[in-house]
Amino acid sequence: MSTPVLEVRNLTKTFKNVVALDDVTFEVRRHEVVGLIGENGAGKSTLLKILSGIYQPDSGEILRNGKKTVFRGVKDSAKAGIGMVHQEQSLVTSVTVAENILLGSEGNAVIAGIYNWRALNAKAQKQLDKIQSPISPKEHVEDLSFAQRQMVELAKALGVEEFSEDEPVIVLDEPSSVLEGDELEVLFAQIERLRQIASVIFVSHRLDEVLRVSDRVYILKDGKCVAERNPETADVDELHRLMVGRESSAEFYRENDQKHVHEEKVVLKVEGLGKSRAFSDVSFDVRLGEVLGISGVLGSGREELTRVLFGAEPFDSGTITLDGKKVRFASPVGAVAAGFGYIPAERRIEGIAQGMSVQDNMFLADPRPVSFGPFLLPKKASEIASQWIERLRIRTPDRNANISNLSGGNQQKVVLAKWLNSPRLRVLILDHPTRGLDVGAKEDVYTFVRQLCTQGIAIILLADTLEETIALSHSIIVMRDGEIQSRFDASPGNKPKPVELVQQMV
Amino acid sequence: MSQTLTTAPLVKTPTAADWKGRFLAALPFIVLVLLVLIVTSRQPNFVALGSVRGLLESMAPILLLALGQTFVILTGGIDLSFAATASFGSVLLALWLPELGVAGVFAVLAVMTLIGFINGFVIAKAQIPSFIATLGALGLYSGLGLAISGASNIRISTGYEAIAWITDIRVAQLPLAALLVIVLAILISVAMRVLNRGKSFHAIGLAEQALLMSGGSTVRIRILAFTLCGLFSGLAAVMLAASQHSGGPTLADTLQLPAIAAVVIGGTAITGGVGGPIKTVIGALIIVVLRVGLTAVGVDPSFEQIVYGIVIIAAVVLTIDRSRLGVVK
Amino acid sequence: MTTTSTTIGESVTTTRSALLKKFIVGAGPLVALVALVLFFAIASPTFSQPGNLSILLTQLSILLVIGVGLTFVILLGSIDLSVEGVMASSSLVFVLFATNDRNDFQFGLLAVVAGILTGSLFGLVNGVLHVRLGIPSFMVTLGTGAIGIGLATVLFGGRAPRLLDDGLRAWGVGSTAGLSNLVFIAIVVLGLGFFVQRFTRVGRYGYVIGGDEPIAKLSGINIRKYKISSFVLSGTASGIAGVMAATQLGVGDTTIGTGFLFTAITAVVLGGTLLVGGRGGVIRTLIGVAIITVLANGLILVGVDPYIQTAVQGLVIVVAVIASGWSLRRRVRVIK
Repeated sequence: MSTPVLEVRNLTKTFKNVVALDDVTFEVRRHEVVGLIGENGAGKSTLLKILSGIYQPDSGEILRNGKKTVFRGVKDSAKAGIGMVHQEQSLVTSVTVAENILLGSEGNAVIAGIYNWRALNAKAQKQLDKIQSPISPKEHVEDLSFAQRQMVELAKALGVEEFSEDEPVIVLDEPSSVLEGDELEVLFAQIERLRQIASVIFVSHRLDEVLRVSDRVYILKDGKCVAERNPETADVDELHRLMVGRESSAEFYRENDQKHVHEEKVVLKVEGLGKSRAFSDVSFDVRLGEVLGISGVLGSGREELTRVLFGAEPFDSGTITLDGKKVRFASPVGAVAAGFGYIPAERRIEGIAQGMSVQDNMFLADPRPVSFGPFLLPKKASEIASQWIERLRIRTPDRNANISNLSGGNQQKVVLAKWLNSPRLRVLILDHPTRGLDVGAKEDVYTFVRQLCTQGIAIILLADTLEETIALSHSIIVMRDGEIQSRFDASPGNKPKPVELVQQMV
Repeated sequence: MSQTLTTAPLVKTPTAADWKGRFLAALPFIVLVLLVLIVTSRQPNFVALGSVRGLLESMAPILLLALGQTFVILTGGIDLSFAATASFGSVLLALWLPELGVAGVFAVLAVMTLIGFINGFVIAKAQIPSFIATLGALGLYSGLGLAISGASNIRISTGYEAIAWITDIRVAQLPLAALLVIVLAILISVAMRVLNRGKSFHAIGLAEQALLMSGGSTVRIRILAFTLCGLFSGLAAVMLAASQHSGGPTLADTLQLPAIAAVVIGGTAITGGVGGPIKTVIGALIIVVLRVGLTAVGVDPSFEQIVYGIVIIAAVVLTIDRSRLGVVK
Repeated sequence: MTTTSTTIGESVTTTRSALLKKFIVGAGPLVALVALVLFFAIASPTFSQPGNLSILLTQLSILLVIGVGLTFVILLGSIDLSVEGVMASSSLVFVLFATNDRNDFQFGLLAVVAGILTGSLFGLVNGVLHVRLGIPSFMVTLGTGAIGIGLATVLFGGRAPRLLDDGLRAWGVGSTAGLSNLVFIAIVVLGLGFFVQRFTRVGRYGYVIGGDEPIAKLSGINIRKYKISSFVLSGTASGIAGVMAATQLGVGDTTIGTGFLFTAITAVVLGGTLLVGGRGGVIRTLIGVAIITVLANGLILVGVDPYIQTAVQGLVIVVAVIASGWSLRRRVRVIK
């Protein structure tokens, strides 16, 4: 069997001004397990979405058993025998296992809209038998544990077998992130069983698991497929190096503007912070004017950590101390009043108030600087708004323009202005602040970060790339699966290399 | 992240959607003018003082209810209990006026405001959909009103003097109370512009998530919206009791649909964030002119409900912002 | 790509408190019903007399029919507020097509069909407007409910038309084997409803759409078709209820449906069908309807003001919604 069961050639996909996949080529052979590794933004999720028919590639081709195919939608992908087990749970909890497994493809178990339950359950049982699962098709999904649900998803994914004569290709997208202990072993046993009846693509950020399970491994970096290795002979250090991006100039990140902060006083102190199923035992300090970078892949717990700090989620254990006082916020209202700011990753939904003017957006967090009691001071408001537009170089027709009409970069600057307007700002959390921004806007953001530091604002940074993290931060903590793996000093002149971070992240 | 390509355009030029938005914003006013013209052509004494007086008198309670509802709809919610609450208020007023006089009026307003507060509190804190919570409130206060009043109207004789001024006092032969309501609407509109938190209701309607993540207390704003709705229901109750010389458990019920129609026709979107008290005034005017207009054109009054239903649906369709709805239930 | 979800690490319902909650929601209503029956049997000697039980079942019938239809819409996570308007219109269409004192039509059974189809038509309009134009269901059905009352008003014409067809009147006032004929109609409707819910796509996909609409969409299900079907079912049920009420009262009337909407929603909620959709069913609605009817019947026998009942029902709706949504509360969450 020399023809690969699945092959992609020169696959390219671009979104707006970002190249998500760049000329990617790889293949999957019969009865083999192929691993895909790469850090954030490497292109894994885009690739999987193309394989499952959700996106269409801009160029390149997909070959199934040597024949060119086009997936115009999810159904086409299923018909081609590609079954996905998604990272997010995709089962409907209000109905039974059988109904989930056969959702949308009940076939002759439902005639003229009428259900033949015996036939339906039998069909579903067939799928469950393929993975030798003891789960009954009659069970209600809401009664199952996460691990059991994943087995059901696997049985469902295998259902694509019914559509094509070929053996299926099963894609497992971060299957282990919801599993613990013994459940992991069950998963690996399943993958071994799958190997006999299908071919598997295994995607995970946990390098050790991918290496354990796969026959071959592809490494993605910045949308490109940079290497292929055999796990048995692979050198883990080399893999880490391959995953890391290229170096950018220090000038780009305004590294010369970074100052030392060792002697400054501690503004924010976090001790033993924990939140169940998210992160545990997190401790760190942030000083005046310091940038603390937090590195980690999806699922590392860093996003949840920042939301907890901002009061958007509760925490279960540990303490947060701001300016020497212990704090526990019931919501972001308290956090903002105490001096926290948050520039969110979901800019359009959580960052800007769509439909409102640029000026109104700037005073969303704190209108007091432009108020006299409860009254708005329109002249002062327009003055300050104009100042910010100038200072941050925001490109807008005028301060009353609808913010929805601004480009992403300029919107982000307005969000920045919103927090800078608040005189009580002490700690600013930046969650993927340069996502979707063009080069010029990114440089502006870096400049402003440096300026914020000189003003004494403490910053917690979740950056898009390792380079950004390293260049902008004074110190870095790396998180993996909810725990801090290691800390790095990143003061000017003492920067760690990206490889050193990746080693801890995966 | 992978390398980025050429810089994106700085600002989007005004699209067709923006022009559509501007047209829709002016539409209610255009409709009102057209309606007045049509009706006047059929019934020339429509613009005579007597007719205008009648118009304003019938508009006033609807406008009061609609103004209260405007706050709630601006936030993206709805208060289905506002008319039943007003009826309940009229019953309380009829019972308390004889003994308490003017103090009875304030007592009723206080109770109504409290009812609104409770609605808002429950909805905001328990995070439940406003339409079902207020549907329950509708049953609660409707039932209470029926029980207390014995399912019949209560005539107000002693104590009526406290509210007699509402129907009696005229300014330039126009009812003062009705004019005051319009002035009230203008004041609210001004307040929304002048207060630094004046646009809060709009903000919740437009971008609640962003407001939450900017440290805004959406809980407080939501509670305020429902509290104001309760207060205005109380004002409507007082006005109705004055004009009907009685309080009754179903006194304001027939105004529920016209009041909601007034808000929606005026241009306040059911999705929230767009609209305001002045728009509601125009909407209320359209409703009452429409009523007169239908009879003038010779339409059977029993068709009124059908017209309201169609008009509400049509207005909602025109103003709804589907992009912000996500999954519609 | 990171998606900052506002719900982190939701655990599966295997903890003890979760199981307890499931049990309460599952068996609670039935236990409450039994308790109520026992209470009133003790509190009032009239309650358990066969004459009263027969009255009870009759009172239950129309409400049950409405409840069955409403259940399908609520399972989607939507609502149908047009019940009373549809009942009014159907009752008038029915009476005016049957032998009546207003005109010379004598369509007999076809009049029944006409009345029921009126309801189906309203349901179709509800579904189409909601699905195709994206208008929230509460708003659409509020509007069509008004149209229903309006249409009924026009047909009413100032005086209630009387139903003169004795055969059809017998449906409402006659009895078989000691029970009102309406009870049998209700049982048939319940049976049909159960069949649809358990054995047809309309029913099963209704659970899927109500449980998780985004996933349903991804599976390639024609969501529009099934949503519209559910609204048609609800409208049809309201139509049947309107006809039933007309045979009982002997007239077509604009107020024939007054009070039913509220009571029906309370019944559905009490039975354990969740307003957010995806959970519950017509059997649960049966229990909820039974609870409401037993309460109404018993409380009157015990001397409680019936209007207090309405008030309590309103309170019950609010409490039930709070209770079922309590565990879903989050700090950064938008519910309008």
